Order: sequence, then C-alpha cells, then structure tokens
Amino acid sequence: MIEVLTLFLFNIVIYSIPLLYATCGEIIVEKSGSLNLGVEGTMAVGAVFGFLAGCRADSLPVALLVSFAASALVGAIFCIFTISLQANQNVTGLTITTIGVAVYFFVGNGLGANWPVYRDCTRLVAGVSDLNIPLLSKIPVIGKAFFSHNILVYLAVIIAVLVWVYFEKTSFGLRLRAIGENPGAADSLGVNIVLYKYLHIMAGSGIMGIGGLYMGLNMGGTFEGSNCWINGYGWIAIALVIFANWSTMHAILGTFVFGFFNTLRIYNMPLATTFPKTMGWLSSVPAQVFSALPFIVTLLVLVISSIKSRKSGRSNAPTAIGVNYYREDR
Amino acid sequence: MRLKIIRRKETRIVNVILLYVIGIAVSFVLGGIFLSSLGINPVVYYRDMLTIGLIGNYYPAKSIEGLLKLFVPLLITSLALSLAFKMKFWNIGGEGEFITGAIFASWVAFKLGDSMPRIVVILLMCIAAFISAGLIGFITAHLKVKFNTNETLVTLMLNYIMLYVIKYIGETKADWNFFLRTDSERPVFARFPENAVMQGITIGNFKLLYSVLASIAIAVIVYFYLKRTKQGYEIAVVGDSVNTARYAGMNVYKITVRTIFLSAALIGLAGAFAAATSGTISTDITNNVGWTGVIVAWLSRLSVPVIGVVSLLISVLQYGCQAASASYSQIDHNFADLMQGLFMFSILAAGFFSHFKIVRTGGKNDD
Amino acid sequence: MAATDYAIEFRDISKSFGSVAANKNINLNLKKGEILALLGENGSGKTTLMNMLSGIYTPDSGSIFVDGKKVVISSPDDAGKLGIGMVHQHFKLIEKFTAADNIWIGKKGSGLVLKKDRYKQIEQIASKFGFELDPYKVVANMSVSEKQTLEIIKVLCYGAKVIILDEPTAVLTVQETKKLFDVCRKMKESGHSIIIITHKLNEVMEISDRVAVLRKGEYIDTVESATTSELKLTELMVGRKVDLKIERAVMEKTKPLLEVRDLSVNSDEGSLAVDNMSFYIRGGEILGVAGIAGSGQKELCEAITGLRKVNSGKIVHKGVNLVGKSAKKISAAGIAMSFIPEDRLGMGLAPSLSVSDNIILKDYSDTKGIFVDRKKAKQEATDIVKMLEIATPSIETPVRRLSGGNVQKVLLGREIKANPNVLITAYPVRGLDINSSYMIYNILNEQKKKGVGILFIGEDLDVMLALCDKIMVMCHGKLQGVVHADRTTKEQIGLMMTGAISLAEVGGKKAGIAKDSAFTEEEWEEATDMSEGSNET
Repeated sequence: MIEVLTLFLFNIVIYSIPLLYATCGEIIVEKSGSLNLGVEGTMAVGAVFGFLAGCRADSLPVALLVSFAASALVGAIFCIFTISLQANQNVTGLTITTIGVAVYFFVGNGLGANWPVYRDCTRLVAGVSDLNIPLLSKIPVIGKAFFSHNILVYLAVIIAVLVWVYFEKTSFGLRLRAIGENPGAADSLGVNIVLYKYLHIMAGSGIMGIGGLYMGLNMGGTFEGSNCWINGYGWIAIALVIFANWSTMHAILGTFVFGFFNTLRIYNMPLATTFPKTMGWLSSVPAQVFSALPFIVTLLVLVISSIKSRKSGRSNAPTAIGVNYYREDR
Repeated sequence: MRLKIIRRKETRIVNVILLYVIGIAVSFVLGGIFLSSLGINPVVYYRDMLTIGLIGNYYPAKSIEGLLKLFVPLLITSLALSLAFKMKFWNIGGEGEFITGAIFASWVAFKLGDSMPRIVVILLMCIAAFISAGLIGFITAHLKVKFNTNETLVTLMLNYIMLYVIKYIGETKADWNFFLRTDSERPVFARFPENAVMQGITIGNFKLLYSVLASIAIAVIVYFYLKRTKQGYEIAVVGDSVNTARYAGMNVYKITVRTIFLSAALIGLAGAFAAATSGTISTDITNNVGWTGVIVAWLSRLSVPVIGVVSLLISVLQYGCQAASASYSQIDHNFADLMQGLFMFSILAAGFFSHFKIVRTGGKNDD
Repeated sequence: MAATDYAIEFRDISKSFGSVAANKNINLNLKKGEILALLGENGSGKTTLMNMLSGIYTPDSGSIFVDGKKVVISSPDDAGKLGIGMVHQHFKLIEKFTAADNIWIGKKGSGLVLKKDRYKQIEQIASKFGFELDPYKVVANMSVSEKQTLEIIKVLCYGAKVIILDEPTAVLTVQETKKLFDVCRKMKESGHSIIIITHKLNEVMEISDRVAVLRKGEYIDTVESATTSELKLTELMVGRKVDLKIERAVMEKTKPLLEVRDLSVNSDEGSLAVDNMSFYIRGGEILGVAGIAGSGQKELCEAITGLRKVNSGKIVHKGVNLVGKSAKKISAAGIAMSFIPEDRLGMGLAPSLSVSDNIILKDYSDTKGIFVDRKKAKQEATDIVKMLEIATPSIETPVRRLSGGNVQKVLLGREIKANPNVLITAYPVRGLDINSSYMIYNILNEQKKKGVGILFIGEDLDVMLALCDKIMVMCHGKLQGVVHADRTTKEQIGLMMTGAISLAEVGGKKAGIAKDSAFTEEEWEEATDMSEGSNET
C-alpha cells in the first residue's frame, strides 16, 4: 500500500521535471517580452544533440553543456528573426518547432543503426542514477518520493529557485522585467534592450534544452522513427507559464500538478485497486481525460484570468508580450 | 560609424520577387548541405522529390491522387487561416478545428450513412463539420473581443483538447462507441458506410475526387469574398485599423466573430473532406495541416492565388519526400518539414529586407 | 560675457522635417538657477527644440553649449551625462513596478543584488530634493500628479542639473499645479535650472524668472517676467496680424443648422473633456474653434459624430436631437467629419487600402446586394482625384504611400462627396505646404457657398481670422466665448485661449445660444427629457 503511494509520488516528480525546465526557460523568454511558441522544437534540438554528445563523451556534464548550447543557438535564431529582423513572433516560433522536430528526426534517421546505445555509456548512466539526500531520504514515503532522485531533478528545482531569485532580487532581473513591461521606458533609461533580450532568450532556450535531454534519458535514449521524445511537452510548458502566472516558484507547484495528472493516467489502476474505497472511481476515468486535463485547466485559467483582469486591470503577464520593439515607432 | 535599420519608404515589386527567389535558393542550398551530410546526392534527391516519384512509375495516376489528398486539406486550411490572419487574429487552432470537423462528419456518416442517399449524407457531413468547428471559432472570437483573452493560447489549448477527444473515441471500446469496429477486439476506427465515402470522376485510371473540385471552388469563392464583397471589405478595414472601422460605423464585434466562425468552419469542412475521402477517421487525420497551414498562409502573404500555388508546392514537397524516402533509408518524410522551415525562415528574412534597409550612419546626421 | 553664467545656450539652431522647418536659427539661453518659461502656440517648435536638448533629435545646423562648452547630444544617454533631464508629457513609467524600482532601473552602479534598502535609498534621495515619496507605491495606483512627481524625482536622481518640463500642468488640477510650482522653486533654490514649456500665461507669470517666446519656428524674444504683462506676452506669442488673402465669402444668414447646448463629454481617461458647452452653426458659415491642443476639441468632434458617449446635453440638427444616435445614422443625416488626429492615419482612413477603397469607407454598405460596387468607387475616386488634384500614382495606390497633403485631400474629398450639410474638419492643413493649404481653404469655401455649415478646428490664428466667419474659443473644455472674425484681434483670442479672459457670459447672456433657434425653449426642455432617457438605456 505504502509502496504504491511512494511510487506514485516518485513518478509525479519524474514527469514534472522536464516540464519545470521548459517552463522556467519559457518564463525567462516571456519576461523579456517575447512569446516563443518554439519550445517543442527547441527542446527537441537540445535533446538530440545533448544526448549524442553525452554518449560520445560518455559524460553527463558534456551532455548538459551541449544540450544547453544547442538550444541556446536555437534561441539565438528566434532572436535574430524577431528582434533583429522584426519578424512575427508567432510565425517564427511555429517555424522553430517545425524545423526543430524535423532536425531531431533528420539526425535520428540519418544515424540509423549508428544511434548510440544508452546503457553502454556507463558513466553517463551512472551520472543520472538516483542520489539519496542524507537524512531527508530516510523519511518514510516522502524520503523515497522526493529526496531520492537523479541529479537533474535537483538541478531543475535549483534553477527554478535561482531564476526566481534573479528576477526578484537582482538589478538585471529587474531591468529584464522592465523590458517586458515597457520597452520604451527601459530604452529611455539606457537599458540595452537588444543585448538583454538576446542573452535572456538564449539562456531560457538553453534551459529548455536540458529539459529535452532529461526526457530523452528518461526514455532510455532510444530513437523511435515515429515519436519524438518531447511528445508535446513543449506545448504544455507554454500552458504552464500561464498556469504558474509567470513565476518560476509557482511553476514548481504547477508542474507538480500537471505531473500529477500525467501520473494518474498511468497509475490510476494500481491506485484504484490498492485503495478501492477512496480511489476506486479512478479506474473508470479514461486515460485521455488525464492527458487533456493540463490543457483544459490552462484554458480555464486563461479565460477566467482574462475576464478577471478585464475587471481589475491586473495580470502578471508581461504587458508588452508578443510585440516587437522598434525604436523609431515610438 | 554605426549600422542602423530604417524602414523603406517604398517596396519595389521586382526587389521583393528577387529577394524571394534568393531566399528559396538559399533554402535549397541549405537543404542540400543537410542531404550531403548524410551522403545523399542533393541533385538526385531533389529531382526524385520534385517529380514525386512519377518518373519510371507504372501507376502515375496513383501518385497524383496521393498528392491531391495532401493538397485539398492544406489548401482549404491555409485559405481559412488567412481569413483570420487578415484580421490580425491568431487562429493557430487549425488542428483542433480540423479534428472537430472530422469527428462530427463521421458522427453523421455512421448514424445516417446507411439510411440516406449519398449526396445527402455527404452534404450533412459537411454541414455538421462546418457548424461544429465554426462554433469553436465563435467562442474564441467572442472571448477575444469581449475579454481580450489571448486567442493564440486558447486555440493552442483547444488543439490538444480535441486531439485527446479523438484519441478517447479511437481508443475506448464501449457499447456507445459507434465509431469503432464491432468485429475487432482492439479498438479500431470503423469504415464509413459506402454512402458516406467521397466519390469522384473517373478519367482512365485516375479518379478526380469531388473534394478536389470543391476545394478549388472554395478558393475561388474566398478570393471573390475577400476582393468583391462587402464582408470582405469589412475584413480588410478591421484588419488594417480597428479605429477607422469604428469611425465608419462598422460593428467590429460582429465582423470579428463572423470571420473567425467562417475561418474555423472552413477548416472543419476540410476535416470532413479528409474523413470522407479516406472513408474513416484516425487520430492523425490532420497530417499537421493546422501547423503547415499557418506557414503556407504566411509564406503566401495571405494572398489567395499565391496560397493556391504555395499549397500545391508544399504538397509536392511533402508527397515527394514520402515518395523519395522509399529509396533512401537514412531519411523520412520529416525532411519535408525541415525544408518548409527553411523556406519560412528565408521568406521571413526576405520580408524584412523588403521592408527595411540597413544603412551606415555617422551617429550624427540622423533624425 | 562670462560663459559660466549660462547653463544652456542654443546658437543658430535649425531643424526641419522634410520641407517643413520646425526651428529656424534659434538663439536662446538658460541662466544657471533660473526658471525659464518657453512660450508659444501649438506648432511653434517648442517641443522640437527641447527634444534636441534631450537627445531625441539632432539639429541640422547650429550648436548647443552646456556650461559654456560646445557639445554634441546624439542620444538621451548623452543628455543624461551632461546633466540634462526631460519630463515628457507622456510618462515613461512601468505601471506594475513600485516607485523605487522605476528609478532603480536606470541607476548607474546599482550593483547586482537588489537589496531591500533601495527603497530607503530612493526615499532618502527624494527627501534630499524635498520630495515625500512612498517608495513602495506601485505606479498603477498613483494619481497623475504622483506619476509626474516620480518622473521629476527620477530625473533628479540621475543627476540632472537642467530639467525640462514639457507642459507639466496640462494634466494637473489647480492644487496639484500649486504643489508642482513649489517643487520647482525648491529645485531652483538647490541650484537647478528649469525650462518649463507651457501655454498658460497666468502660470508663466507666477513661476518663471524669464520668458522665451517662439512663434512659427522662430525665436522672438526673451523678457523678464517681473516687468512684462499677459497682454505683452500674448502679443509676442501670436504676433501681428498677417493678411493671408484668403477669400471669405459673405453668405446670407440662415437658421441654425446644428445647435449644441450644455454638452458635457468625458475623455478616454474618464475626466471631463467638454464641459457644459453651447454653440451653434448656421448654414453657409465657417465656425472656427480655437484653443490650445487638448482642450477638448477631439472629444467635441467625436461626440457630435456619435463616436463618443455624451454625458449630458443636447445636439440638435435640423430639429432632431442626435444624442444617443449611432454614428451611421448621424452620418446619414448629413453630418460629415474629416478628422486628422495626431497620428494622421489612425482614424478615418485605412492606410493599407487603396485610395478608391478609402473613398467608399462610409457608404460601401448603401448599395444593394452582397458585393461592393467597385465600379462606382473607381468612378468616384477618379472624380475626387481630379477635382482636388490629388497626386497619386493611381487610385489603386494604398493611401499610406501618399504624402500628407494628399492624404488630407482624400479624407476631405470623401466627406464632401456625400454632400454633407454639416462638415467637421480638424487640423486639415497640419503638416501641409502653402499651396496644399490654400487648396484646402478653397475646398472649404466652396462647401460654404453651397450652404454647408462648417466647424473648423484650427491651429493658426491668422488663418482662422481670415477664413472663419466666427471663432469659438475653448479652454479646458469650457467655452470662452464666440467672437466675429472681423471684429476681433489675435490678442483677444490668445487671451481667451489661455483663459485670461472669458466672454462666455456677457451681460448675463450666455454665449453660444441662437436667438432664432430651431426649437422653442419648451422644446429644448422636452429634448432634455428625451436625451436623459436615452442615456440610461
């Protein structure tokens, strides 16, 4: 009984972590005033190159670095088009998703039989084995569920906290938020908008890439011709940004909720049979409902918050989001 | 000395065309580099792709039919999306609207397919798809105009919600589920009754489906709708300046809601066509047309004739990549997406250089 | 001359935009520790001049001296480094941020870590300059005056010694203005030099040490405030009357065509923009509307044409109350408006659409059937292009590609085409060269001869005196009086515009009420009931 519950909680964390990476990355991007719909593609590129490099070098740090760098490069492409070339952000983002996922398949198909075998990369595998946090991991249920994960799980939470600290507690974060709110005002105060946007969008995209890598490793690193590792998580991340109200701290909670739905989809049967009285009804809920819940919830959040902000005039969304800034248009 | 971006006062059409040609050439070169990296001769591959496997094919008619199956939904969806984009309304919910149309069309097909004449069944399927998908458009437009709800994100969410709806229907074995085959243990979508399947005109061994004719008719109608009718005129004015539209006494709410209803409804219709053509539905019935449609509409700068040409070219690209992948194991149909993306980026860059120019300034004499 | 006496000197500064000269050989200086008022009508080049000082524009010729040293100011950053700060009319603040954070963003050397004591620091700096500031207050919750104060503190925090205030009192109440002036005096005491751009003579007299006057892009004079008078300043500002040779046809008097009584209208921000105004227009008459920009002209136009909600009052056209009627109905009644707002193409025209498509904007729906009658549109467009000599490559050219004068003609041509009986036109010659302007005046005169009543909202008093039959003056949304163009002077209008004198009530009789009204007093009363009833629904 306890095992089922522990495993359930443990898996929620597993499922929510890639979303946390992607959501944190997108929050950074959106705080700078850009809406990047290319999360899915950005993650796919980071995943495939990070994984391949990691296997080649048989090293987790290399995998991390390359996935970050590859996705940051994709972020740079987004910047070149939307900031330097004033292209429409929606179209650029969608194109990045199209091209990113296509690159993933291109590389995978191209390598064919030469695709590396993940379990042979012993040091890489060892790098992402579960780490027990002293003392905390000894706590019953919670210890195993939350404090006995691989290093990427902890890294995600650390990044989320650091990003929050960066936005709330540093001058750079403050200036970035200012750009997302009112680029004209920030410009008049001598903030270098172009530089700020490039750097932050690239960093945010890089973080998405680590999320992609995590998903690849979680799937055992096997390339399937039909399914991309990212499997729509990039889009969920865009939804989560709204759900988390543009706060990476809320995102930790938000991704947990979304991971919860996802885990329910898989663990509804064990839960229903273990706790027939309280959770027996779970067995009759179709799996697709759990899959769709994140999107339904986000849709509701979106609608309700827009109705509310129409009334109160307050929302946490960056005011200038989605609008390209061109100084002469002031 | 600094570099500075300034808006061009005028764009010359010759320059625009030149920039576009350069952009497309650059895409092909980049794609060629990708291909070469896999040891594929790009010239040979491009030839195979662009001829969609017609050369040396014993059944060329089948290739053309396959190509048109890709072309019809893409053309209608791109046209429909351009209606919304003309009003600066970001309907990226093509996928969801397409699925909605397909589901409701097959509902009609399964329920009425046996009891009514073919023409009535097909017509009812189209109407059901048109209205059901249109309602989705209506709701998003209403939310947008009344509460300023972000339509990009709403339509995005609806894409996934509808995807799971069709998955639910397709993966759930139950007594109520008339969408599935009854003689199969595993959940499999059933075939439509014969009367609910799209027919066509047979020319030799080539079958020209009525849906192809219908899609071309839709393109012509949309062209005249935008160019000649009062409603098309209203779309142009609202898309250009909402303030001017109000000043002219136009009802912006009504125009927006009506146009987005139409946009979504047409995509639903494309879904009905796709279902009726294949005689069944599937969870991947959209073939990503909702996404590709955005790219096609934008590549065509929302011009109806250009959308016709670009949809056809993208269909050739997609079908050609499918056909070519039969002879190249290293590469699959996703290469078409890669090329599409490259085209899109090239055209975006070309668009920038046709609107702006980069000049050197001494940092002093600019105003 | 001791160079150090002056904080700022302009020498022979010129700046033009296209063919329009905004500043011509301006020589002007600002003493250290003084408050200089910069006075001038709309379009006299005040803001352009100040934008050159704050680095937004660079001069075409001439030079600027700061503390006696010649400088080149090519960006707001440069201006900041020279100790020049400008408080713009439209605040550049981030609504969601606190007061302290709005200042902190632009602070040099603010360090990496955002410490809690920044609130204290900002509060201290503010109090050092004599301001009370709640550093935690979010801008969105501030009043206009608080926002302005914050902008001033911001400028001071970045070390500005010279502070430019662009029409700071335009948005303030009387009490808030008083407070602002106290602040200015305090800043002056602490050694700052201030340039304050304004139109309001009483304020000029109250706050400034000296007054510099610009007129039509030229520098006129600088006078000591203590030894001048409002009358003298008005004379400097408006200049002697120039005879423009604009024909003014004399028409037979007809009954009032459009009568407005006790009209009150709100602005977008919700404050009262038109305050209890009454006036009327007769057929075959041009009624000019003079006033400082932003005195409620825009709101007045929009209220008459049904684009803005009327708070109270009546608008009676040929004996029918228009209040509560839709823009379409009002337009159908023969009231046409050609209104060119500041951004020219923002309202009234669809910039990406062709000339011919813009011509049919208002009557495209009048034809039968579902199709737009493009044949008629082309015919009409061709006629208008020919009649008004509009320079366009073709009638299919998007209007955004046309020059300013031609855009105005397209707009005016469309309004005239509908054969209106009342024509409302605002700033129809803004940005146009002399020839195009005369073209427009001729068009208006022709309409007048046809018996159309014209409301002409203008900027140039010389033009209005020559063209209009009567001139109505507005100040802060209030009617200051209606004067006959041939029996008034520029000085009188200038004084009325700035609120120095009011002829709204002369001998107990309210101005703007026609003796031969289309309604009897009882009917007016009834109309009141009607309009109030319709307002509720």
